[in-house]
Amino acid sequence: MDKILRIDMEKRTARLEAVPARYRTMGGRWLTSSLIADEVPPTCHPLGPLNKVVIAPGIVTGTAAPTSSRLSVGGKSPLTGTIKEANAGTPFAAKLARLGIKAIVVEGQPAEADRFWIVKLTKDGASFLPAERWTGKDLHDVFPPLAREVGGGKDVATMAIGIAGEARMSAAGVCFGDLEGRPSRYAGRGGLGAVLGSKGLKGIVVDDAGAPGVEIADKEVFEGGRRKVAAALTSHAITKPKGALNTYGTAVLVNIINETGGLPTRNFREGRFEGATKVAGEAIFAGNKERTGKDVYNHACSPGCIIQCSNTWHKKDGTEHVSCVEYESDWAFGANCGIDDLDTIAELIRLCNGLGLDTIETGGALGVAMEGGACRFGDGKRAIEILTEIGKKTALGRVLGNGAATTGRVFGVVRVPGVKGQNMPAYEPRAIKGIGVTYATSTMGADHTAGYTICPEVLGVSGKVDPLDPDKAKLAQGFQQATAFLDATGHCLFIAFAVLDIAEGLAGMVEECNGVLGTAWTTDDIARLGAEILKIERAFNKAAGFSEVDDRLPEFMKREPLPPHNGVWDVPDKALDRVYRA
Amino acid sequence: MESRPVEVHLYGSLRRFAQERDPAADSVVFVPVAEGETIGALAARIGIPFEEIGRNVFLDGALSSLSREVRGGERLALFPPDMNLLYRWYFPQYGNEG
Repeated sequence: MDKILRIDMEKRTARLEAVPARYRTMGGRWLTSSLIADEVPPTCHPLGPLNKVVIAPGIVTGTAAPTSSRLSVGGKSPLTGTIKEANAGTPFAAKLARLGIKAIVVEGQPAEADRFWIVKLTKDGASFLPAERWTGKDLHDVFPPLAREVGGGKDVATMAIGIAGEARMSAAGVCFGDLEGRPSRYAGRGGLGAVLGSKGLKGIVVDDAGAPGVEIADKEVFEGGRRKVAAALTSHAITKPKGALNTYGTAVLVNIINETGGLPTRNFREGRFEGATKVAGEAIFAGNKERTGKDVYNHACSPGCIIQCSNTWHKKDGTEHVSCVEYESDWAFGANCGIDDLDTIAELIRLCNGLGLDTIETGGALGVAMEGGACRFGDGKRAIEILTEIGKKTALGRVLGNGAATTGRVFGVVRVPGVKGQNMPAYEPRAIKGIGVTYATSTMGADHTAGYTICPEVLGVSGKVDPLDPDKAKLAQGFQQATAFLDATGHCLFIAFAVLDIAEGLAGMVEECNGVLGTAWTTDDIARLGAEILKIERAFNKAAGFSEVDDRLPEFMKREPLPPHNGVWDVPDKALDRVYRA
Repeated sequence: MESRPVEVHLYGSLRRFAQERDPAADSVVFVPVAEGETIGALAARIGIPFEEIGRNVFLDGALSSLSREVRGGERLALFPPDMNLLYRWYFPQYGNEG
C-alpha cells in the first residue's frame, strides 16, 4: 500500500501514514501542490516553522513507463512568496516510488538553527543521522562519499542541499544525484533548498533494496499505454536516439532562439548574442569531440529514459568538467552575462552545482549585478570570482545567492527581468510573446516550463487574431493545464514534443496512468485535471496576497524596444487577466 | 535592379554549403536575390537539397515557410531537420498564409 512519509524536523521523528482517499490518484506536482495547499498557511513565512516541503514522485514513476523518473518538490517559495513546484529527473524518484512512498512531507523546525541531519530511508523506515561532516562542503565532495558511507555500498540515490540552502538563500535549489551519482539534477527554482535548510534537513539517502515496487492496478492497460509512449518517443525527430536532444542537448536551442531574436542578451538588453555559435549545442558536441577524440552523445539523467538529453562538457585534457550544460544554464551564464566561452560557462555551472544553486536564478542575479556595475558584461574571470563569494557567504555572495530581484534592489537596478520575484529564463517575451503570457500568469513566477505551449494565435502576433478574444485566452489556459497534468504523471516535460505531435502517444500517457491507478481517464480529462491543479495553486497564491496586478511583466519591457525586432511588450493587461477568467 | 544580398546563416549539416564550417563559428553565405525569389529557390541556388531543410527557417527572426519571398538585405537562418525548434508552438509562421 502507498504511504505518505511525514518527517518532523522539530522532534526528529518519521512516521508512515496511509494515503487519504482524496490524494489516491494524485502524483508529482498535483500531490505536492495539494498537500501544501491543505497543510501550509498561505501567509506563513517561507523559512519559518509553518512552511513544509513535499517531495513526490509522479503517478507512473518507478514503473517501466519511459522517461518518467521525475520528482516534484513543493512548498511555499522564499523567492516568490507563491506556491512552488520544482522538478527534477533522477533515480531518487524511481526508488522512492518503488518503496511505495507517494510523498515525503518535511515539516517543523529544530529549536536550534544551523544544525543539520541526514535522513536514511529504507523499506524498514527512516532514521536520522547527524550531518555535521557533510555541511559547508562543495556538493561534488558530498554526493558520492555520502552515498557510499550511508548507503553501505548499496545502490542508493541521494538528495542534498548545498551551502546556499544551508544559509537559507532564495536561489538555493534541491540537488539530486544522476545515474552516476553526480550532483547535477536540480529541482532548482524558487529557493526550496533554503526551505529545507531552514528545517535542518541536509539530505536524504534512499535505499530501495527489497522494495515492493509500484502497484499496477491493470497491467494490460498500463502495458498498452507504455508501448504507445515509447513508440512516440523513439520515432519523433526531437526525442529519438541520436535526435536533436540526444546529440546536441537542450543547448541546441542557443542558435535557434538566437536566430528568432529572442535570446536575452546582457541582462535582457538585446535579443541576439554575437557569441551564440561559440557556446551552442553544436559547439559543445564539436568541442567534446576535439577534446575526447570521439562523438560524445548525451546520457540519461534517470533510469528508463529514451530521450537522454543530459550532456557533459570536457576540459582540454579530455576529463569531465561538468554535467550538465543545459540550454537554460548555458544561456544564464553565456548570453545573459555576455560570456562567449564554454569553459567559463562550464565553470560557473559547476560552481552552482557545487554550492546548491539554481543556475537560472544565479545567472540572472549575475546579469543584474553586471548591470549594476559589479562586473563588466563578458568578464568571465570576475564572474567566477563573484560566484565564489556565494560559497564564502560574504555580503556580496549573499546578495547574489538571494536572486536577481534582491540583487537589483541592492544595486539600484531597474532592469530586473522577473515576475513575482523569479528571474526569467532564456526566452525574451518581447520577441516571443507567447512565453511572456506564461511568465506573467503562471502560478510559479517567470517559469518557461509552467505553460508549455501557448499558441501564437492567442496573442494575435500575426495581426489576424484579436488578442482579447476570450476563446483564445481559453486556449492559453488549456496549455498550462496540459503542462500541470504532465507534471503530475512523473513524465519528463520533454515527452510533450513527441506526444503533442503523435496523438497515440498522448493517449498512451493517459493509459499508463489508468493502468497504475485503475482510473478511466481519457485525453479529454487532461485539461480538467490540469485545471484542478492550477485552481489549487491559484487559490493558495490568492490567499498569500497575490492578485491580477502581480500577473505582469516588468515595466522596462513595456518601454524599452528590444533589438533586433525592436518590439516592446504590448500584450494588454486585460488579455493576461482573461487567461484565467476564460 | 540590383538588390542587396541575403545573409544566409547555416547550421548543423547545412554548414557544409558555406566556406566556414566550424560548428562553433558563423557559417554565412551572402546570396544576391532575383526579383520574386522565394526562400526555397534561394536555398536551392546555394545547392541545399529541399529535404535537408528542417522546419526552422527564420527570415529576419520570423519563422517562415520556404515559399515566402525574399527582398534582399535580410538575415536568413536555415537549420536541418534534426534541429527542429523545440518550442515551435510559440511562433507564428510567415509566408504560408495561402
